[in-house]
Amino acid sequence: MKRQWAAIILTAALALAGCSGNEAGSDTATATDPSSADTSAAAKEETTTAREASGTEEREPVTLRFSWWGGDERLAATLKVIEQFQEKYPHITVEAEYGSSDGYNDKLATQLAAGTEPDIIQIEPGNMALLASDETNYFLDLKEAGFDFSLFEEDYISQRINGCYGGKQLGIPTGVAGIALVVNQDLAEAVGIDFTQEYTWDDLIEWGKKVREYDDSMYLLCSNKDYLANIVARTYAKQISGSQAIGDDDKIQKMTQEDWKTVYEYVQQLYDNEVVAPAAYMAAYGGDNMQADPNWIEGKYVCCFTWVSLSEIMTAANPSANYIAGNFPVAQSAKSVGFFANTPQVISISSRSEHPQEALLFLDYFFNDEEAMETLGTVRSAPPTKKAREICAKTGSMSPLLADIVNVAASYTGIVDDTISYSQEGRQIMIDQIEALGFSSTTPQQAAEDTYSLYNNLIEVMK
Amino acid sequence: MKKTVHSGVAACKKYSRRDNQAYIYLLPWLAGFLFLQLYPFCSSLYYSFADYQITAKPVWCGFNNYRNLFTKDTEFWNSLWVTIKFTLYTVPGKLALALGIAVFLNRDLKGINLIRTLYYIPSLFGGSVAVAILWKLLFMDRGVVNAFLNTIHIGPIQFWGDPGYALKTICALEIWQFGSSMVMLLAALKNVPRDLYEAAEIDGAGRIRKFVNITFPQITPIIFFNLIMQTIQAMQNFTSAFVITNGGPMKSTYVLGMKLYKEGFTYFRMGSASAISWVIFTIIIVFTLTLFKSSSAWVFYGDED
Amino acid sequence: MKKKKRLKKVFLSYVVIAIIGIVLLYPIIWMFFASFKTNDEIFGSTRLLADSYSLDSFIQGWRGSGNITYKSYFLNTFKLVLPVTGFTLLSSILVAYGFARFEFRGKKVLFAVLIATLMLPNSVIIVPRYAMFAKLGWVDTYLPFFVPALLACYPFFIYMLIQFLRGIPRELDESAYMDGCGTFQTLIKILLPLMKPALFSAALFQFMWTYNDYFNQLVFINSGKKFTISLALRLSLDAESVVNWGKIMAISFIAVAPLVVLFFAAQKYFVEGIATSGLKG
Repeated sequence: MKRQWAAIILTAALALAGCSGNEAGSDTATATDPSSADTSAAAKEETTTAREASGTEEREPVTLRFSWWGGDERLAATLKVIEQFQEKYPHITVEAEYGSSDGYNDKLATQLAAGTEPDIIQIEPGNMALLASDETNYFLDLKEAGFDFSLFEEDYISQRINGCYGGKQLGIPTGVAGIALVVNQDLAEAVGIDFTQEYTWDDLIEWGKKVREYDDSMYLLCSNKDYLANIVARTYAKQISGSQAIGDDDKIQKMTQEDWKTVYEYVQQLYDNEVVAPAAYMAAYGGDNMQADPNWIEGKYVCCFTWVSLSEIMTAANPSANYIAGNFPVAQSAKSVGFFANTPQVISISSRSEHPQEALLFLDYFFNDEEAMETLGTVRSAPPTKKAREICAKTGSMSPLLADIVNVAASYTGIVDDTISYSQEGRQIMIDQIEALGFSSTTPQQAAEDTYSLYNNLIEVMK
Repeated sequence: MKKTVHSGVAACKKYSRRDNQAYIYLLPWLAGFLFLQLYPFCSSLYYSFADYQITAKPVWCGFNNYRNLFTKDTEFWNSLWVTIKFTLYTVPGKLALALGIAVFLNRDLKGINLIRTLYYIPSLFGGSVAVAILWKLLFMDRGVVNAFLNTIHIGPIQFWGDPGYALKTICALEIWQFGSSMVMLLAALKNVPRDLYEAAEIDGAGRIRKFVNITFPQITPIIFFNLIMQTIQAMQNFTSAFVITNGGPMKSTYVLGMKLYKEGFTYFRMGSASAISWVIFTIIIVFTLTLFKSSSAWVFYGDED
Repeated sequence: MKKKKRLKKVFLSYVVIAIIGIVLLYPIIWMFFASFKTNDEIFGSTRLLADSYSLDSFIQGWRGSGNITYKSYFLNTFKLVLPVTGFTLLSSILVAYGFARFEFRGKKVLFAVLIATLMLPNSVIIVPRYAMFAKLGWVDTYLPFFVPALLACYPFFIYMLIQFLRGIPRELDESAYMDGCGTFQTLIKILLPLMKPALFSAALFQFMWTYNDYFNQLVFINSGKKFTISLALRLSLDAESVVNWGKIMAISFIAVAPLVVLFFAAQKYFVEGIATSGLKG
């Protein structure tokens, strides 16, 4: 009996707490943010019902689906742009389908296969390369469809990575992206390292030793296997070979086993000289989780390689430090600078969309309207058009640091990564080898042989 | 317990007419089985023999997917081994813990119901994202577990970074949720007829002998059931490895479920993914059939027909 | 003397029970207190209690991402989970009854098929299923969850109820049938009341599993306004945001709280339901 009563009271208490929490939560939400989802949804419904009631005098109501991935800020800004757009064009409703970057590619692939993809789709360029083909014809050629590209620079959008496939503009780049070197300047100065000069990969090793001497709880480079592979090893490889790993045109490996061995020997040096933290330590902060590394948060790294689009997330994790944009290392014998600028994502319209005109209208607003530029700010990296960048600088949504970072990224005009080695699976091959080096379960020689033969297999599969 | 109804001839006739109604009750399941299980199942078998990039139509390619998996793939055998290790750690671990604690709790103590309830709580959260996140945080380099180990001068242990620990730490999450097996076993223990014990006590049987001769045979059906269900689950495990370690470090938590997911949904090779799922399926089938075959020797059904 | 010895034994039992209990429940308790902590307090410290207590991280967490609060994520979850639970029970009762109480042609084969489906990995059928549901226009609705529940695609519960029905003496319903009750009436009047404990635990299990499921929800639900808690929670962890662990622990705690509440409310039926099941024969 007693127990029963206790249970009832506990449940009642929790239920009450839950209820009041409920109301309090929604109250504050509506109070602080008048444009909250509930109200806007309600308003939307009202307008649609009103329209339906008043008959067919205006344009038919149209619903567009728009999918993207990203964090909170991107979500808030994108929803706001959608709202503004809907105010301008009340007959169009844009439904937001957003989610985590994990699983986004998978879901998109299944949607495309099943014909249930949204009208407007944000796509990762690496994934786009796999999806764009004349056979499947998933995406609308935006140039042909009449999208106004006048604000975009021609040699920027005409790159394959930025959405141009065989002369068809299948996607619009959302921003300038590329590699960033974020430097904790106060620490760098304290140790006596200058990232604003020109330097080589070997300097990095020397500086790494210097940092360990300065304080043995610190490391020069905050990284993980993904960044070591996708940024350090990949760029190093391009610098020594002067070409893509696998030719985009002829699908032949341009890197020899010897080249790979040199690359992996360098990575081995990074580990051996403790330029980076031990592999077992880095493993916990894999993927794009580097900012969660408590040592980064506490300012125990001098610098990190990251992507332009993620640079402010890295700096926000430890706001007490003073950051600058560092230059990139270039090998003395480099045949190319390796580093290059591209876009973090492209936005496309499905060729099966029932309302391509309205979708175009939305993208025109999204990319070419000053109001939208202001609202979107830099939530998809530094914006793709000069005009938008100027607006961001004016409104302060683009910090001087980010402006510097973009300028550095744009000043290196190396080679764009090829489709095959930069596909998810292609990236994984290098990541696995680099992880194995870190755990000393392979040698640079072995890793080079494995990489070479695995890329041959992959070429076979992806041809 | 005699089966009186079965004995009469007249009853037998009536019974068969009544029995035809069974199909009506089975109707929802028959429909669900045909359209939502058998059809997708057959499709995936077909895909496993096909070159099926999700963006195009499947093309028959014979045993290619399997051949690639067994001979060329660098990850498959590792994944298989990791999955088997995961199953071997978690299934017996969970069952042994559940049984031990159920036996321990099966006594007259005040508040035993509350205790049983509290012990069950971890099992409530199953494969939820919330608990996976919690586990990740607890076992981080500077998480609570390492902070605690530090106070007794051990470690720090890189639970997620050290290939020797990551799988075991994920297994710990699984074993932590032993509650549902425990509740089932406890219920079974309570149902062991008292007179059996009394008879044994008269014969002078000790505690261990009582457990081996009386208790254990009575609860074998529950153990059998748990063994099968948990093995099936463990072979397919995906969420904890995916959310917490994403298969790393050094693929030490790269279970077959993840391999399948990557192959299918990241690299879009549905044919090869289907082949993996069929490998999982085959292992499950072989294990279960063996267990069923052996069950007559050790599983004790009180009133089986 | 004997009494003293017994007391000592009881005391020792409680000590062991308490130690096990603390080990088991500590993570959850820690999760609750971590909701009030800053990242600095969470890392490198064994302290359970937080420096200060404010509901900030709960309020921030509850506000969710962008414009959708956790209120709607919760409502969505219940809109998904409750019908699935109800439908599963309904269909499983009928099918279990069909299997447990009738001797029909092909029973052995069909039962073997049922057992086989227990072993059917979800991952084997998810892709063909997705393609099928997409053709029917069910993607981004809750139908991919409701329909399998209605069509008894959860063999675990059927198996569980069959096992339970086997424990109920056949004489009960057979005599009712001889007395002129139809088979359906026999099920409703005689068996269903006896099955109550099993039904409660089946309902609880199904509620829990659907509530905790992540993979299927990720595959079938696209639009933010239809997100469930699992999806929203994962979104809050998105790699592109700065991780505020206190806030994440707060939402995680809110997310698991309904299960705990439900469990405490229903545990009388749940735990004792199994214990006092009809297995009297």
